[in-house]
Amino acid sequence: MTNTSDPATATAKEHTTATSLRLEGLCRRIGGRPILDGITLEVAAGECLALLGPSGCGKSTVLRVIAGLDPCDGGRIVLDGRDITEQKPARRRVAMVFQSYALYPHLSVERNLSLGMELRGVAPEQRERELAAVLELLQLSALRRRRPAELSGGQRQRVALARALLRKPQLMLLDEPMSNLDAQLREELRPQLRAILCGGRAPAIYVTHDQQEAMGIADRIAVLEDGRLQQCGTPQELYHHPANLFVAGFIGRPQINLLPRADGTVVGIRPEHLKAVSSGGLPVRVLNREWHGASQLLLLESEQGPLRWTCDGNQALGDGLRLDWERRHEHRFQQASGERC
Amino acid sequence: MRGRLAAIGLGLTLALAIGLLSWAWARPAAVVRVLMPAPFADATADLVAAFNGRHRDVRIAVTRGPFETDAVSDLAISSLLLGDSPYDLLLMDVTWTAKYAAAGWLQPLDPWLGAEALEPLVSGARAGNRIDGRLYRLPLVADMGLLYWRTDLMEAPPRTPDELVAISRRLQEQGRVRWGYVWQGRQYEGLSCVFLELIAGFGGHWGPTAQASGEQGFGLAGPAAARAAGWLQQLVREGISPQAVANFAEPEALQSFEAGEAAFLRNWPYAWQELQREGSAVAGKVGIATMVAEPGEPHAATQGSWGFSLLTGTPHPEAAVQVLQALTGDASQRQLVTRYGYTPTLTALFDDPELVAERPLLPQLRQALEQAVLRPLNPGYAQLSDILQRQLSALITGRGDPALAMARAGRESDLLLRASGQGLAPRPQEVSP
Amino acid sequence: MSGLLLMAPALLLLLAVFVWPLLDYAWLSLQAQSVFTGLEQVPVGTLNWQRLLADGRFWQDAWQTLRFAVVSVALELVAGLAIALLLHQRWRGRGVARSLALLPWALPTTVMALGWRWIFNDPYGPINGLLQLLGLATVPFLAAPELAWLATVVADVWKTTPFVALLLLAGLQMIPHDLYEAFALEGGTPWQGLWRITVPLLRPYIFIVLLFRLAQALGVFDLIAVLTGGGPASSTESLAVYAYLNAMRFLDFGYSATVMLGMFLLLLAGAAALLLWRRHTEVRA
Repeated sequence: MTNTSDPATATAKEHTTATSLRLEGLCRRIGGRPILDGITLEVAAGECLALLGPSGCGKSTVLRVIAGLDPCDGGRIVLDGRDITEQKPARRRVAMVFQSYALYPHLSVERNLSLGMELRGVAPEQRERELAAVLELLQLSALRRRRPAELSGGQRQRVALARALLRKPQLMLLDEPMSNLDAQLREELRPQLRAILCGGRAPAIYVTHDQQEAMGIADRIAVLEDGRLQQCGTPQELYHHPANLFVAGFIGRPQINLLPRADGTVVGIRPEHLKAVSSGGLPVRVLNREWHGASQLLLLESEQGPLRWTCDGNQALGDGLRLDWERRHEHRFQQASGERC
Repeated sequence: MRGRLAAIGLGLTLALAIGLLSWAWARPAAVVRVLMPAPFADATADLVAAFNGRHRDVRIAVTRGPFETDAVSDLAISSLLLGDSPYDLLLMDVTWTAKYAAAGWLQPLDPWLGAEALEPLVSGARAGNRIDGRLYRLPLVADMGLLYWRTDLMEAPPRTPDELVAISRRLQEQGRVRWGYVWQGRQYEGLSCVFLELIAGFGGHWGPTAQASGEQGFGLAGPAAARAAGWLQQLVREGISPQAVANFAEPEALQSFEAGEAAFLRNWPYAWQELQREGSAVAGKVGIATMVAEPGEPHAATQGSWGFSLLTGTPHPEAAVQVLQALTGDASQRQLVTRYGYTPTLTALFDDPELVAERPLLPQLRQALEQAVLRPLNPGYAQLSDILQRQLSALITGRGDPALAMARAGRESDLLLRASGQGLAPRPQEVSP
Repeated sequence: MSGLLLMAPALLLLLAVFVWPLLDYAWLSLQAQSVFTGLEQVPVGTLNWQRLLADGRFWQDAWQTLRFAVVSVALELVAGLAIALLLHQRWRGRGVARSLALLPWALPTTVMALGWRWIFNDPYGPINGLLQLLGLATVPFLAAPELAWLATVVADVWKTTPFVALLLLAGLQMIPHDLYEAFALEGGTPWQGLWRITVPLLRPYIFIVLLFRLAQALGVFDLIAVLTGGGPASSTESLAVYAYLNAMRFLDFGYSATVMLGMFLLLLAGAAALLLWRRHTEVRA
């Protein structure tokens, strides 16, 4: 699994066929309140798209509507050229990894994995073959007789992933698959997950609220807020060219500094782009500092408002501190609409 | 202010004086606790109140028991088993007397009432109160099984089983009634009552037989029992009685007859009033008679009666006996007859022209009561009756042969009694199908 | 030692309410104590037990009780699951339906037994009324041995299905909904989901239902006492009714205790079988 040229990985990838997904103006309302408001997106074959946003932004709902678990109140879902908007979940050839993993607690790992194939009428010998392959791919062979309750969080996640792979989906959906794991494990698993998801022939949509994870796994990221798509692009695009104030504030840690101007615009400048200058610039006062190892984060006060500054660990600090930035690093947004100027 | 204080002082003094006076007057009254089935408790409520108003030294406290006979028995037995009975007097069904006396729960009444205690009663009501020569119960009201017949459908009631079947069949064929005869066929005490009348009518007798030797089967081994049981089976088999009769108790049988669906009904005297009330399809078209019998055999009526017994544990038997006499006396019975339709046990009431004028049925009831037959007076009666009911119920529902079934019931009865004679638990019983 | 001390109250309670009555009954079953002995205890050795073994009525009642319990509980389980599934769905008026569904359970048994006695009445009950309206012959539900026991089953199912449904509903609510979603995405139909997910995951609840209901049904008394009185021809008589007759009607306490103990031993055997079955299925799954 660590090695992407592993033959087992190759097998898993062959499970899928080259397809693409298109969402056209997807809408979902609950009690008249819009949960999704015209989401339009495209995910190419083999591409992994992360759906990123704060909790309650509707990102899980997108997955559920695509999977057919929640009804679609408007728009179309086109998978591999066919409109699946009205199809039953079972017929969509979509696999999903649930946040809770949704493993059948009464069944062993191997029964969890083979149940779906059984339901779909896969022949027993083929079932056993595919089961063995996926168990090996995800290093689960030793655990095949265990029940979910006897597995660690990471193992359960791998079983859930294995089950999704065995579905041979035309589209892979993952709903916060790592939110139940501790931070260290998450970082370890990211490259492995990426190896399995990306470069396959089916598109994958990965829902997360963690931008690090999104950037670590996905080819592109779609940022959602309030049921609306804010911006969709590569991690670099989102970082360097945020389409609006929300994306600017949401992407990038520590958070971007936003300085309102008198002309009705807001200037955004990332903390890492501030520089200490001996003269000119903005005079600031240090309120607080956080030690981050190679760097430190300073919370500052200036006449234009509070500022965050990521600086070298050995940066000399003094009362007469003044900060400035290069104009090319500056982002400008309309104050009223939040749109980029 | 001063005036109010004075008033309070006066009031206090008065209250104290009244309290002292009443304490001086009232010797602690003996409270006689009586358990009665609910209908009797209701019917005697004002009598009890009047008694309590008249007497200062004796008070009656009535416990209103459940409605159903069996439920009253359960309540009484449960409390008696716990030792000190919470009651002094118990209103008992005739079938309980032997059992309760054997259990040692009853006191003989002879020391208080003398040898002539039952003399004022009509003869049919005297039976069933003495066990081994001792008086254990004084009857309040009597009950007897009657044959109700439709005066609009026939001139006279049938007197033999064959006549009853013949009339029934004719009326059924004419479409004037749906059923010939409705009775109590449910597996319960009522079925034993039905049978008791018939076995007498067929020349037999349910109970210990005269001959001391040999297996007598408690009167069930002979031909009379088989014929009586066979007749009941025939009634259902030939459609004279509905199949549903196998689950009929008194209310179900009454309901069918009251709806005009049947030509004959076996029931107790209480049914008369029910049949005459508004909404009854047979009001004014009903006569009563005694049960049918083979020529020359008695037209028997099963005696059922309620009477008071004195419980062993009573702390003040004299007061209890005083209450017992008051509650079974002329005034009490008269009220139960006139207001609630019960049948009295005192000869004087049957002979009272005023009462007869008010309740014209009384002479006929007396006649039936003279024909009364008693269910076996045995401590094991409940079990003997259960043995019989079981076999009869099987026959009515179409299973088995009457002679064999009755013989089996007889053998089981013998076994029970033989074992009980030794004061031991009954021996292993035969396996019944 | 201190552990034993801490457990002492519970042990004493258990001793008082469970072990002591059992020992008392065991003692009583070795005595003749009846109306024939003037309610005195007379030691008779194993006479009561010999009588029990040879008592056709005891074994007939044991069979009838078992038949009643197994058939009733099986039907209650099926009907209860169906109702629980219905009440688990979201639909308008579900809250009202949930309360209404419990009504039969809340009704005192004697009251509902009287009601059923009326419903089964031949010919005036509503069922026979309907049959007559359709021009059909009436059916003597309570007067025919082969029908009467089914009538007791119907009444019992009506009365206790809500209890079963309630317990199973609690079980259903413990099953995470996303299991069904995952199952549906894998191509499973709702019917398959019932057998592959719902029933296996309800197993602990089904076990509790079986334990409670079988114990209750094997001790059935009031329903039968009121509905049929054990008749016709003792075809609906249960062991509890028989034990009651011996104690309260016949005043034969020695034998009644023997019948009760015999019933208890049969129940124990049944419970042991159920436990073994459960262990067996758990190992296998």
